[in-house]
Amino acid sequence: MSSTDTGHAKEPLPFPAKEGRFSENAIAELEEIATHYPERKAACLPALWIAQREYGGHLSAAALQEVADHLGLSYTEVEGVATFYSMYNLRKRGRHHLEVCTCLTCAVLGAYEVVHKLENELGVSVGGTTSDGEFTLSEAQCLNYCGAATVVQVGDKYFGQITPENVSLLIDQLRNSTDYTPTKLADSIVKLHLSNASETGGGSHQAEEILNPPAGAML
Amino acid sequence: MSDHRLTQTEASLNVTGADLVNIKVNGIAVKVPKGENVIEAAKRAGVDIPYFCYHPRLSKGDAANCRMCLVEVAMPRKNPDGTEVIAKMPKPQTGCTLPAAEGMEIQTETPAIARDRKGVLEFLLINHPLDCPVCDRGGECPLQNNTLFYGPETSRYIEEKRHFPKAYPLSEQVVFDRERCIHCARCTRFTEDISGDAQLGFLKRGADLEVGTYAQTSFKSKFSGNVIELCPVGALLSRTYRFKARPWDLHTQKSICSQCSNGCNIKVDYRLNSLQRINARLNEEVNEEWTCDRGKFGHEYVNSPNRLTKPLIKKDGEFVPVEWSEAYRLLAAKLKEANGNVGGIGGYRNTNEDLFVFQKFFREVLKSNHLDSRIGRYGDSITKPLFERFGYYTMGNAISELETMKTIFVLGASLADEQPILFLRVRKAWRFKGASVIHANTFDTVDTTKVSDFAAANLIYKPGTEITLLYGLLNLLLVDNTNSIEITPQMTSLMKAAGEYPLEKVAEITGLDPKEILKTAKLMATSPTAFIVGDTVTESPDYLAIMQALGDIAVATGNEKNINVPVREVNSQGALELGILPDFAPGFVSVSDPGANTHQMLTSAANGTLPMLWVLGAKLAEKYPDRELVQAALSTAFVVVSELEMTETAQYADLILPAASFAEKDGTFTNCEGRVQRIYKAFDILGDVKPDWLIFTEIASQMGTNFPYFSARDITLDLSKSVPSFTGITPKSLGDSGIRLRN
Repeated sequence: MSSTDTGHAKEPLPFPAKEGRFSENAIAELEEIATHYPERKAACLPALWIAQREYGGHLSAAALQEVADHLGLSYTEVEGVATFYSMYNLRKRGRHHLEVCTCLTCAVLGAYEVVHKLENELGVSVGGTTSDGEFTLSEAQCLNYCGAATVVQVGDKYFGQITPENVSLLIDQLRNSTDYTPTKLADSIVKLHLSNASETGGGSHQAEEILNPPAGAML
Repeated sequence: MSDHRLTQTEASLNVTGADLVNIKVNGIAVKVPKGENVIEAAKRAGVDIPYFCYHPRLSKGDAANCRMCLVEVAMPRKNPDGTEVIAKMPKPQTGCTLPAAEGMEIQTETPAIARDRKGVLEFLLINHPLDCPVCDRGGECPLQNNTLFYGPETSRYIEEKRHFPKAYPLSEQVVFDRERCIHCARCTRFTEDISGDAQLGFLKRGADLEVGTYAQTSFKSKFSGNVIELCPVGALLSRTYRFKARPWDLHTQKSICSQCSNGCNIKVDYRLNSLQRINARLNEEVNEEWTCDRGKFGHEYVNSPNRLTKPLIKKDGEFVPVEWSEAYRLLAAKLKEANGNVGGIGGYRNTNEDLFVFQKFFREVLKSNHLDSRIGRYGDSITKPLFERFGYYTMGNAISELETMKTIFVLGASLADEQPILFLRVRKAWRFKGASVIHANTFDTVDTTKVSDFAAANLIYKPGTEITLLYGLLNLLLVDNTNSIEITPQMTSLMKAAGEYPLEKVAEITGLDPKEILKTAKLMATSPTAFIVGDTVTESPDYLAIMQALGDIAVATGNEKNINVPVREVNSQGALELGILPDFAPGFVSVSDPGANTHQMLTSAANGTLPMLWVLGAKLAEKYPDRELVQAALSTAFVVVSELEMTETAQYADLILPAASFAEKDGTFTNCEGRVQRIYKAFDILGDVKPDWLIFTEIASQMGTNFPYFSARDITLDLSKSVPSFTGITPKSLGDSGIRLRN
């Protein structure tokens, strides 16, 4: 990728990635998104989501470099964006990232009891990752699903009406799953970007699909 | 795609009568260019507005983050009934982003603004450690000054400040104190706008915001030193100057950087006869206000403990310090013995004054024309590549003219290394003036800060294929006529030469992508095009043929006056102008009996026919392409070396004369564009060292000829009288920005 768009120098890679880890699909998505803006720089946020997905759930130095190379930005600039926003994971997370909503409604309905139960069950405190690399536990602010408080977000899935009693069921279910649950928000963002701007209704429909808890997810 | 923003400076400089507006600053009526920011406009009325983040040479896009330049603004407004009133904006505005408009009234000293400034400073000082007593910037710090003038007496902030490690090593030259940073973004904008490596950026946000490099890697710019001067607090500091001196203990002298031929204007800060640091000095025609790292930090040799302080005579293979009288006795005897058979090599690091006396001594006292300042591969007549054809010698353009070019063709140069200030101009032309840059070389450097980062076409050709590439381009330009050039009769001969280089053949020989060659030819359609030629070409055995081909392209595209072959060393240009050449006396006056060039001198010295060589500060053993010849020549002949310190070349000498550095003498240097600029003596001469012009004057007097020189000034005045091209160049007329010699 040419770096002449912004004229930023590329220093020799401090953390040389053997090869870019973006799949062909990811590159196609990225290029499609880039066409939506007058400058490639503007595609930085969705590109970082794609990178987070492609690099197993967090943005390593190599991931930032690959984004910078694709968009013709300087590494520092991409790192600046990635560190500005709190929803990009800059450190490695567990296979499943449990985000317990502790905002008003959930808190009133016992979110902190869920958090304490999870802490005991997993043996980590909030922000920590279990030693087997299975779970990362953190608190989240309002997940906009107060009707099913207490809500736990795992990747792109919402689990509602979690109580200290049924939380171990959730843990077991996740532990037995074979896949990992990265935040695939990039996919949804990409879809939103790709949907025709004139179909504004389509956009909100897509958004609903993201937030609607999938069938069977409710315990 | 890129954002070619106009700098504020340009808006200020492009003042034309039609675009002036009337504004009032604190009641003072003044005409200013329309759209000029209020900080600059207020300066015209003699009103200073305090600021930290604003900088006229950086793009304004990210500024307005320090909030220090708040002013009250009122603008004329028409009421519905047609009457006009001056309506005050309800909130204060930032002067750095506010463009001046007709009828604008600005107040900078109202009680409300005084209160706002106090508030801004109280916030800026929340995390600032106030360790001024141990800070290098203390005494010359904008934050300190503005706080003293405008700041609050106390702070209400009693919480813990942010703490970071002190003196974090950001680069080899720069240390970073994060605690002191006020996030003005000057350094980050510098790396993006000016040097172009974009290695500094803001990480994190809000209260955690900090300046950093990607993944804590080293800051590796070739212009990193500039951020030290840009920083409005003591956050970015020089590693060499740190804790060396307080600003109020320093004396400052104007000078010219001696590290390359660009001739950056600098300030030499010294204390107790020792050079402490180099800062940039403003010269819009040359370096604007930048320096490169080589210039800013490469001055250790001036105070080096290895400096020579006494003449040294080699006795039985050992150097023995002697008095000048003894050195002169030996020198005079040897010169008489040689009877005019003496060669003089070098002088490219000396002032014009030294050089004039050097050649005068050789030509008038020794009657020898064996003089050459060039130690590169090319030793033939200086007139050949350019003068005979186009009427100029090295650079057709002034440095500042490069900005006005639409296309800049950089051929065979690692420009940021060889000509740092030309690099900055080229980048400025690209970033702020919309020029396209073509980069052609046999290799591309791996380090940061390079032309290929922003070049529209990158031609990395196989070594030795320059001529093919250039005629291939000429073929596209004329025979295929990609750009619909009007073919004049004299171009038909050029077409004949170019016709033998069809695109496919050129692509195969040079190893380039045909598309890239086509793109380059297309880019050359937009005149004016400047050509900058670097070391790969000048050190090539095909130098003359390449220059012929380049000249053909220049003729075909109508850019005969835009070929630049900048010289490399601080006064290489001056040495050419002042006849340190075997075939020209000062002012390019031909001599009747040309002497030997460097190669011929070394050859005859090696075989014993030239018994004596005087090496004037030239690093022959280190730099001359033919190393064995140098060793043979220097071991055979009686060698006099004028040097600052013991170099490899000096090791071969039979007599070493200690010379004064640029900081210890007055004089003038001529930079690569032919601009004569003054240097001033900063501090006293070390030990028994003498300036070179004095050495030549004294030895001439020993040999019976008295030169009428008692100071460098006498020589400058003589230069202006006796050398035609120096007419009108006197110490007084040179002023601070120098005068460019007519080519």
